[in-house]
Amino acid sequence: MSLLDIQGLKLSFRDLRGLTEVLHGISLRVSAGERVALVGESGSGKSVTARIVLGLLQETQKALISGEVVFDGQDVNRMAPQARAALRGVDISMIFQDPTSSLNPTFTIERQFVEVLRRRENKLSRKDCDAKAMQMLAATSIADPARVLASYPFQLSGGMNQRVMIAMALANRPKLLLADEPGTALDVTVQAQTLALMRRLVADHDAAVLLISHNLGVVREFADRVYVIYRGRIVEDGPTQALFADPRHAYTRALMAAVPRITGEGIPDVPEISSDFLAPQVSHGGDQ
Amino acid sequence: MTLLSLRNLSKTFKTPAGLVHAVRDVSLDVVESECLAIVGESGSGKTTLANMILGNLAPTEGAITLAGAPLGPQRSPSERRAIQLVQQNPLSALNPKRTIGASVRLGLDTYQIGPRANRWHLVEDALEAVGLPREMRHRAPSALSGGQRQRVGIARALSVAPRLLVLDEPTSALDVLVQARVLRLLNDLRETRGLTYLFITHDLAVVRNVAARIAVFQSGRLVEEGPTEAIFSAPKTDYTRALIAAVPVVDAAELALRNSIGGGS
Repeated sequence: MSLLDIQGLKLSFRDLRGLTEVLHGISLRVSAGERVALVGESGSGKSVTARIVLGLLQETQKALISGEVVFDGQDVNRMAPQARAALRGVDISMIFQDPTSSLNPTFTIERQFVEVLRRRENKLSRKDCDAKAMQMLAATSIADPARVLASYPFQLSGGMNQRVMIAMALANRPKLLLADEPGTALDVTVQAQTLALMRRLVADHDAAVLLISHNLGVVREFADRVYVIYRGRIVEDGPTQALFADPRHAYTRALMAAVPRITGEGIPDVPEISSDFLAPQVSHGGDQ
Repeated sequence: MTLLSLRNLSKTFKTPAGLVHAVRDVSLDVVESECLAIVGESGSGKTTLANMILGNLAPTEGAITLAGAPLGPQRSPSERRAIQLVQQNPLSALNPKRTIGASVRLGLDTYQIGPRANRWHLVEDALEAVGLPREMRHRAPSALSGGQRQRVGIARALSVAPRLLVLDEPTSALDVLVQARVLRLLNDLRETRGLTYLFITHDLAVVRNVAARIAVFQSGRLVEEGPTEAIFSAPKTDYTRALIAAVPVVDAAELALRNSIGGGS
């Protein structure tokens, strides 16, 4: 059984002109412990998908959602708002693109850790929180966890804040980690370290990951399986190796062609947007 | 011919925690019509260097010359006009309350380019040159996509006919398909107009395909400089190797190259 099973998910936003359909019925699955990537351009619907899984968009009046989002046997779309809130930060957690702006600048890391840990266990003592936080920070290879704990986010580098975010996201042993472009706001070397760290820690914590990204290189390095999304439709999916070795959908091919290569093939030619991009989904299998 | 020349350039900031040497003793030449990439991580001094070249910051030591003429920290309008900047984030680089046309026109008015009556025409020409429709001058930045806004940023910089364009991470906020189009546009403009670029980035894959020469910065120092081909086939410093090894790659040929250089990750 899948940990996350999305079937025929549709999303529309109500605005002055009427309804704008953003997701046209997407289906995707993530098994326990699996690393899955959802890759596409801005506006393709990848971040809203993460927000629906997290149960955030269900709370807004403007969003019309249909289809199933079954997490751990329960449909997130049909849950009571309190039940959805109880999942967040506990069984499902999220890492955002820009770590520094997603941490609260007015609280120390310690205080923010306490808040996170008490979501799972609201009676946890300050001492136990600190011990757990120290342990999580040490696991992210932070050399001086006590100093980091006493710091405010603005006193730490972007790479350090990213580690703190990862430590917080995994502190409650979530079953699913949603990672929205982790590290793209950071330097390329820090980004590579972030990915390596996430890879190691999610394995240690048995967490599954849904990685949201527009960077095919990052996806190839990190994910077991990939879904390519274009304008609210999944256009291709399959095991990472198979999909990168043989991209079959016109849109996936265009995305691949547009990536500048370090082998120096010249500035990539960009295929014009074509109606082939809306061709039916190609599946390489591999979906457990 | 050398267009821009930096000699023993240093910038030191006084902070409560002591002196910060942001740029240390950098000497570098930019040749007319070339694209030189400035590569390094955050804090390596790339942006401080750019700010000194643009005249936004006075060097603590050293000299900057443009086509043989010394550039001081107090620049005349024509000296400022000669070096233009394209910023990383095209949304925050444009005033949200001005139309696209008004933003582009600002430079033409500042430097008194062409007769006043003709300037809207020049604005439209500048938009057309970067592949945007002429009518777009009436629109607000919020109505444009990220790629279109970056094209506006390029149009604005080029509208005053600068001699040197400083591009500060011009495509790192863009999607890969949009990035490829903007890189192609920049390359075409450089080739057809003989423009000179100083391309600041930490993306080595982009560098490989746009720049003929690379200067690598680490902790404010120029640690390696040379033709792109030479640096990719035999990087001299561990730092350059680490930068190349950190690039996420998509195909087998890239992986082989990366492994041969950086040992992979």
